[in-house]
Amino acid sequence: MDIKNEVLYRIYFLFFALVLPVAILLFYKTIEVGIVDGPSWRNAGQSMYVEYRPIEAERGNIFSQDGSLLATSIPYFDLYMDPNSTGMKEEDFNLYIDSLAWCLATYVDPSYTPGGYKEFLIEKRLSGARYVPIKKKVSYAEKRFIEQFPLFNLGQMRGGFIARKRSERKRPFGLLAQRTIGYVREGAKPVGLEGYFNDVLGGEEGTQPMLCVDRANDIWMPIEDLDAVEPQSGDDIQTTIDVNLQDITEEALFRAVEYHDADWGTAMLMEVETGAIKAIANLGRIKEGWWETYNHAVGTAVEPGSTWKLASMMALLEDGFVELEDSVYLEEGSIQFYEETLEDATYFSREVDSGTVRQVFEMSSNVGVAKLVDRYYGRKENINRNEGAARYISRIKQFNLNLPVGIEIEGEANPYIKEAYSAEDNWSGTTLPWMSIGYELRVTPLQLLNFYNAVANGGRLMKPYLVSEIQSNGSVDEQFRPTVLKKSIASEQTIRQAQSLLEGVVERGTAYKLKSEQYRFAGKTGTAQINYKRTRRGKRVGGYQASFVGYFPADDPKYSCIVVINNPRKHGFYGSDVAGPVFREIADRCYHSILDLHEPFNLRRKPVLATEQLPAYDAGELEDMEALLAALDLEFFPEAPGGMGMLLPENDSLKIVPKPLPAKQVPDVVGLGLRDALYALENRGLQVKVSGAGRVIRQSLKPGTPVRGQVIWLKLG
Amino acid sequence: MIIILAVFSLLAVYSSTGTLAYRFRGGNTEAFLFKHGIILFGGLVLTYICHMLHYMVFNRSAPVLLVISIPLLIYTIAFGAELNEARRWIEVPLVGITFQSSDFAKLALVLYVARAISSKQDYIKDFKSAFLPIIAPIIFICALIAPADLSTAILLFFTALFMMVVGRVSLKYVALLMVLGLVTFSVLVILGQFFPEVVRLETWISRVRDFVINPEGSYQVEQAKIAIANGEWFGMGPGNSIQRNYLPGSFSDFIYAIICEEYGVLGGGLIIGLYVLLFFRVARLVTKSSKAFGAMVAMGLTILLVFQAFANIAVAVHLVPVTGLTLPMVSMGGTSVLFTCIAFGVILSVSKYVESITAES
Repeated sequence: MDIKNEVLYRIYFLFFALVLPVAILLFYKTIEVGIVDGPSWRNAGQSMYVEYRPIEAERGNIFSQDGSLLATSIPYFDLYMDPNSTGMKEEDFNLYIDSLAWCLATYVDPSYTPGGYKEFLIEKRLSGARYVPIKKKVSYAEKRFIEQFPLFNLGQMRGGFIARKRSERKRPFGLLAQRTIGYVREGAKPVGLEGYFNDVLGGEEGTQPMLCVDRANDIWMPIEDLDAVEPQSGDDIQTTIDVNLQDITEEALFRAVEYHDADWGTAMLMEVETGAIKAIANLGRIKEGWWETYNHAVGTAVEPGSTWKLASMMALLEDGFVELEDSVYLEEGSIQFYEETLEDATYFSREVDSGTVRQVFEMSSNVGVAKLVDRYYGRKENINRNEGAARYISRIKQFNLNLPVGIEIEGEANPYIKEAYSAEDNWSGTTLPWMSIGYELRVTPLQLLNFYNAVANGGRLMKPYLVSEIQSNGSVDEQFRPTVLKKSIASEQTIRQAQSLLEGVVERGTAYKLKSEQYRFAGKTGTAQINYKRTRRGKRVGGYQASFVGYFPADDPKYSCIVVINNPRKHGFYGSDVAGPVFREIADRCYHSILDLHEPFNLRRKPVLATEQLPAYDAGELEDMEALLAALDLEFFPEAPGGMGMLLPENDSLKIVPKPLPAKQVPDVVGLGLRDALYALENRGLQVKVSGAGRVIRQSLKPGTPVRGQVIWLKLG
Repeated sequence: MIIILAVFSLLAVYSSTGTLAYRFRGGNTEAFLFKHGIILFGGLVLTYICHMLHYMVFNRSAPVLLVISIPLLIYTIAFGAELNEARRWIEVPLVGITFQSSDFAKLALVLYVARAISSKQDYIKDFKSAFLPIIAPIIFICALIAPADLSTAILLFFTALFMMVVGRVSLKYVALLMVLGLVTFSVLVILGQFFPEVVRLETWISRVRDFVINPEGSYQVEQAKIAIANGEWFGMGPGNSIQRNYLPGSFSDFIYAIICEEYGVLGGGLIIGLYVLLFFRVARLVTKSSKAFGAMVAMGLTILLVFQAFANIAVAVHLVPVTGLTLPMVSMGGTSVLFTCIAFGVILSVSKYVESITAES
């Protein structure tokens, strides 16, 4: 019991003498810091202001089809020094400041002397500065170099070196497809692929604790901290754009908008089989010249005019209302629908009384097309199972012309097709005839092109696409395959007839001037009136919109292409005169630059060899030579195998003779090329001196002479 | 008693995980919380297991543990993983966990000293047969820990010292032990001149100098004070800490400051009070205990825990230089939590058996 009491006594002594007083002291200190000195500490807390701020991830690249960079982020660094970094030791600073100042004054900012720089840094350290700019916009290599300077090489904590990574978006090809590549900028609507794939390209932001060093100017300094979350770089996207074709397209379009002094123009090239967009150019007028200002191909829905007639014809053919050889009376080029008069712009209807359905299309007669459509769809009580215009509209929908194509670019405009007899859409008696020739409706150039592309593709409607792959760190993350939107937009027969109509337009129709001798192409011209609605007292103020849409080569379509040129002011306005030549130029240059569009030249029988063309006097291993000659299908007299041999001409064939190369004697190298001769001679320890060019015609040492490291002269000729 | 402990550990854990949730909100949150959760759960399981065992098991295993801890410590000094320029950790092969060997040694030494004192009670005041066998391992172990982790060594040294005070060792000898401790420390300082990479003399000096010459405290201490000030009396409420973002080590060394920020000065006082209460409860336990070892071991571990807690708090309120000691049970830090849990388990085990004996009689 005694022991226990002693223990207890000591414990309570410990408790009251040590534990309790310490506890009270600690609590007292807590109160002192928290309550008594509280206000001043809270103030201190507010002046040291740290926040987790986002750091931008490196944006992914946009590649063309062949891997050229269409858009990329070039990283650069802004370098700062924190002369009052928490981990910087006085002795380190004093030890290295001289060398650092020398390095900075020598390599970074020569406007300073080393002494001046030193003074500058010392002054900054004394004044409590935290974030002194060293140099902005330096490359990675330069950053690596400056990082190695004395003091800086101790890192951010001890050395005060701060490098802030930034990046700049570059488009190595400049204007090329600029609008399609697009951009993402603060305060602006995202545009193009950059906009559509912003999530993919953008990567994931990181966070970095940053200290506010200047509240007035909102300047933040990154603090070295393990809690920083590294940003995740964005993925790359591979587009279907072909830089060469894009260049061709853009150049051709540029010349046209300039020559015709147009408001804007767009041209687009699509691969028929897949729907892959190979080129897409948009040029809009700016103060001086033209620039990729807006993606009209995707974002502008316009009244297409005559290019729409293909849809009307296909509707009539699909419904079996007309045959291509049916005759139509052309009303002398003018027809009345209610109080409106519809006129033909072409000379054709004034020259003939009536033409065939085929001629109506090929010569692009407004009267003919409108009359046919009005006859078969204009009245409900007609043969038309009482559907009237609704049937026409349902055919248009069958061709998917009422739907957007879903391209991966922000801002595709929706087509506008009126619903039959809809009051909401202001359907009137004149709507159907005008619709049939491409007015009172709107589609984008891309949507129209896709329709023509389906015709070229045997009726199979593809989904146009611009991006084939998403890649992260060089490996494929996601692949986009061609997508079929509709297996067939019309019957096989209708498609065949439509194709023959489009070929006819070029063969003998409105585009006959564009015809090429080298290959056949098909398409349709369009010359739409624009701004006609502002008409006052019968006078039009607006101009025209010239277009051409088609595909080439006609027999085995590879590419489809649309060209739209809005409001040309000079040198004509017809589709065939303004847009057609651009199409032709694009088609020509594509045709010539694409190998698989051509028959190989050398499929014919090999020519008979003339003696001088034979590879005479060539020497080498016998077996190799025989194999080679056999492969080339050349006639030769074989020799016993093994060892070296040489070819000798013999009339129109070759003879192989053995060419022995004895080991320790000077070989006979006459007739050999220099390379073979050098090999043979130098391998035997001879020093070779050469004069002339060609094959060896003479050698200074006789064959068979024992080799002793002599000099041998070779004469070439 | 168990309930009190559980409540305050939960409270603190909530605070610390709140901090983590904010810090690592980008992607890593779940992983960190999960890891901490597993360690805590494992710790509680360990507490439970230890509490189920009869505490005499620890008596028997004490010498074995002590023997194991010596090569561990030597290995740590020689090949341990470095973190913040200090070699305190061993990487367990295969598992990939780092493990602070001094935590293990702490436990082993306290168990050993408790065993030694209790078994030698009858002749405890004797120098040769009682005093020497007790202090030899104390000096040895503390000397092994000190090079890399001086604060833990000092803490452990004083814990042993007070255990001896409680264990009726003559105060004369205790004073002698203090002298011996000082001598050992001096030897270490001299060694440090020759092996600067093993003995962290420079760090000790700079920390003490920081403390002496800089009345406002270093950046960390400054931030900690701001945190305490932010809390005022009643705190900003759970999860509302601001300073946790700016205070390095907010989830370990400086968690007291964050507790004050979120729960106020009163919350901080509650934590201090809980540790005092813990000490008081164990003292009561000793009163009831019939077995010397149980009493000694519970007392020793409690002294260790309470001292460590006070040291940690003292750093946060800038009473002592920065030490790197964690707040037991509250701070995050893998092995530290596990060993703390074991210590609690042992104390509870003693408590359970004492209570059951008391109940019988």
